[in-house]
Order: sequence, then C-alpha cells, then structure tokens
Amino acid sequence: MKKSQFIYIFLLLLVYSFELNAYAYPEFYEYSRKVSGRNTNCALCHTHGDGPEGFEEGQIKSLNKAEMERLMRARSAFQPGIKVKSPILNAFGNHIIYKIGKKKFLELKSHPENLPKELGFKSDLDRDGIPDAQEYLDGTLAISKEDGDPKKLFIANIRINIKHIILAILSVSLMFFGFVALLKGIHLKTKLNNSNGGDKNEKI
Amino acid sequence: MKSLTTIADFLRARFPIEKMNLQSMLMKKEVPIHKMSWAYYLGGLTLLFFTIQVITGLLLLFYYQPTVNEAYDSVKFISDKVPGGAVIRNLHAWTSSAMILTAILHLLTTFAMKAFEKPREVTWGTGVLLLFITYTFGFTGYLLPWHQLSVNATKVGLQFIGAVGQYLPGSLSELPNKLIEIIQGGPSIGQETLSRFYAIHVVILPLAIFAILGAHLLSVQLHGMSKGVDEKPKIKEPFFPNFLIKDFSLWAIAFLILFILAITIPFESFFSFPLVEPYNALGSTPEGIKPEWYFYFIYYPMELLPFWVIIIIMILLVLGLFLVPKIFSGTSRKTLTFIAIIAFIYFVTMTVFGQQIFELIKGGHS
Repeated sequence: MKKSQFIYIFLLLLVYSFELNAYAYPEFYEYSRKVSGRNTNCALCHTHGDGPEGFEEGQIKSLNKAEMERLMRARSAFQPGIKVKSPILNAFGNHIIYKIGKKKFLELKSHPENLPKELGFKSDLDRDGIPDAQEYLDGTLAISKEDGDPKKLFIANIRINIKHIILAILSVSLMFFGFVALLKGIHLKTKLNNSNGGDKNEKI
Repeated sequence: MKSLTTIADFLRARFPIEKMNLQSMLMKKEVPIHKMSWAYYLGGLTLLFFTIQVITGLLLLFYYQPTVNEAYDSVKFISDKVPGGAVIRNLHAWTSSAMILTAILHLLTTFAMKAFEKPREVTWGTGVLLLFITYTFGFTGYLLPWHQLSVNATKVGLQFIGAVGQYLPGSLSELPNKLIEIIQGGPSIGQETLSRFYAIHVVILPLAIFAILGAHLLSVQLHGMSKGVDEKPKIKEPFFPNFLIKDFSLWAIAFLILFILAITIPFESFFSFPLVEPYNALGSTPEGIKPEWYFYFIYYPMELLPFWVIIIIMILLVLGLFLVPKIFSGTSRKTLTFIAIIAFIYFVTMTVFGQQIFELIKGGHS
C-alpha cells in the first residue's frame, strides 16, 4: 500500500469515527436551566434524556442502518429549510435544524440566549398554546402539552377551550336549575301530602 | 354479659332505630345558622370530590394497564390519544388534591365546632378513618403512572417505614422490613408492587371507604348537624330543601372550578419534566424527588428532626385523633378553635414554605 493511500484511508476512518461521535451541546439546556431554574436536561431537544451517547433507544449506538442514514442527513443539513428526521433528536431538535440550519445552530453554541430570537415565537409543536421558543426559556418541553408554565398554560388553554368552558357552565347551570326545581317540587308535594293527611286525621 | 349490654347501649344511642326514617333524617332535620355555618358544607364537598374520583377513576380503568412495561405508555395514551382523556385524567388528579384539602378542613372545623361530642363519637371515628383511607388513596395512586417521580417518591415513603426498625427491640426490628416486603411484593419495587398498589387503589380501598362512608353518613343524618357554637343557635333552617339547595349550588361551583382547572392546567405541569419521564430502574435517582403536597406537613419535619421524634409525634397524633372525644370532652369551643387554627397554620406553613424552611435550616436541597 502506498503511503498516500494509507494516509487517505486513515483520514477517511478518522472523519468517519468523528462523524459517529455524539454531540449533546449542553450549552443550550444549561442556558435554559439558568434562566428557568428548572432541572432541564438533554430531553429538551434529544430523544433520550441522557443525550445521544449510549446504547439505549434514541441513542447513537442503538441505531440501525436506516436510522444512521437519517442521522447523517440531519448532520449535513447546514442550511435552514431542510426537513430532517434525526433519530437522536426529538421533534423540537429536528425543528431547530429545519428552522435555522446546522451551521447557525453551531454558531449559537456560544450565544444560546439568541436561540429563541432565531427560532421566532410562532411555532408551537405540542399545540399547548406556548411557543416553542418560550418553552425553551421556561425550561419546559416543547413537545409535551402537559409540560409548561402552569400560569401560561392556564391563559392559553382558556383561550383554546373557551367554547367548552361556556358549554360546561351552561350545562351545569341548567342541571342545577332543573335539580333545584325538582327538590322544591318534592318539598311542596310532601308538604301538601302532610297537610292533607293531617286534615284527614283531624276529621277522623 | 354486662360489657355486651354496655356495647349494645352505646350502639343504640349512636344509631337510634326510631330515627331511621326519611321523615326524621331528611324532612325534619334542621341546620343551625351562625358564624361557623360555612363549615357544614365541607363534608358535602368532600363527598362530591369522592364521587368525581370514583367516576373518573372508572373511566381511567378502561385504558390503564397495570404493568411496569405498559403503565407509563397507557397513561400517555390516555392523555394524548383518548378523546377527553386528558381532561378526565386531570380531573382525577385535581380532584384527589381537592378531596384531601376539604377532608383536612372538614376534620379541623369539626374539631373546632366540637362535633365529636356524645352521641357523635362514631361520626368522628369514622371520619378520622376516612381521612387515613383518603391519604392511602393518594399514596397508592401516586405510583400508578410509573414515572420517575412516582416510583422514587414511593421508594422514599417506604424507606421511612423501614427506618422504624432501628428503634424496635430484638427480632421486632426486622418487622418493618418484612412489612415493606409485603407491601412491595418482593425485595425491591417492581411489577408485584405495581400490582399490589393497583389492587389496593381500585378494589380494597374503595370497598373500605364505601363501608365506612356509609356508617359516617348514616351517623351524620341520624344525629343532624352539631350546634357548632357554645351559645344556643337562634336561627335554624330546614335541611330539606334549603340547605340541600345551597349545598348543591356549592357543588356546581366546585365542579366548574375543577373542570376549568382540569381543562386548562395539566396537573403534571407542576413537576419538572425529567421527573415525569418513564421510570428507569437502572438510572440514578433524579433531583427533586418529593411526595405529594399533602404529605409535606410530615415530610419536612422528617428531613429536619431525628426520626425517633417523628415516630413519637406520629403515634401521638394517630392515637390522639381517635381519642379526641375522650381527651377534649370538657374543652371549650374557643380553645378547640384555637388548637385547630394553630394546626391549620402549621399545615399551610409546611405545605407552602416547607422547602424554604428546610433550606434555611439545613442549607441545601431536600
């Protein structure tokens, strides 16, 4: 084997092993943790809460060939607007890559506070009424409608469910009205029966 | 023979047969009106919350899978896929907290109003039992979603039982650990524990609560509302229909508040998300494991005081609660109200500021 060929194969192996290494970019969840005060972890953007390294589901060493290809495609999505479905990222992680591209994302590593601005406040993956970028700042999961700031969820869900709430108020009020009428009716009938019975007794 | 007669007399006075008719228990019943009258509604509210618990619990049973591999996913399925599932589940969770809150308030106000006086000792005793059952409902139900918080919090709860062993003499010291094994169904928390907690939560406790609740309600209806204040109440209102209508109007409002809470705020939004991930037996215990809020009044003192002090307090508290009619028979309502207020302030302080108090004294996280 020629020396140049050897160097070429060595470099290729080096690049390949470099590509297989997992990156968690803790700068982002650490920033989220700092501003929100919540115990956020890799699950903010990753499939697995402990990050991409490991053998468990959603971690790099458990991936099959097809998943590996999806991972490589996601890793090469340097420009925004490319739909990716990385198996080690959750929907929010994939959305970040789609929205700003891998290149911009890597640039933001030193300024994780700029991520919400770059993402914008329109996307709401879990449809809980709180934008994904806001959930990042609040230290809550952007892909779980059960996870969110309770006060913000309350306001958002009041707006979303206002029809249900009005219907519930109407139906409970109607049921209550009917029930009270029924109770009053029973009471009146009992009173009438008692007074009639009383009269009869007196006559007897 | 004499003791049998005494028991029969006792029961006859507490459950008078001559009063066991609709006329006496409903139509002729009157409710005193005074400054503490609001407290008469707390028992009814607790009953409403229990009814909601039963209905929502039955609906959850249609989808919940009590196995360690499926429990978490089935709960997620209920919340994410079943139409109205999230509301039913949240209603179940919110109502459980509401039920415990009103049960505690009911106990404290009943105590303050001296409603445990003869012939209401049975009402009091069954009420205390119902409170303990309600707490056990909370403890067993907490494990069922099988996430990090629920399993680890249950472990912490069971560890406290095990810690009692060090204060017991000889072979008795092994008893708490044996008890834990019986509860867990093995040396550690697993499928057997989930099966047992599930059976206790959905079969054993409901059967027990229905039986005791029956005795409690019968006793309440037989003896009517206690007068509640030291002076003789000047005004009274008929239980049927006046009080009942007011009671139902409160039920309607309480239900609507709970429904709005359930539809707008998922109960789990109060926990940080790594805690509501599925339980990982091989992983380390995540930070911030705590029991439900209604255990804080005993949880934080457990973290701060020597364990033997807690054991003594617990024994005295449990015995004291059952013996209230004996201990406080001669105490004025003013003194009882003062004790109840102190107990309430302590409960609220530990529930709301327990963590801050702990950090202030110990200087760290619990």
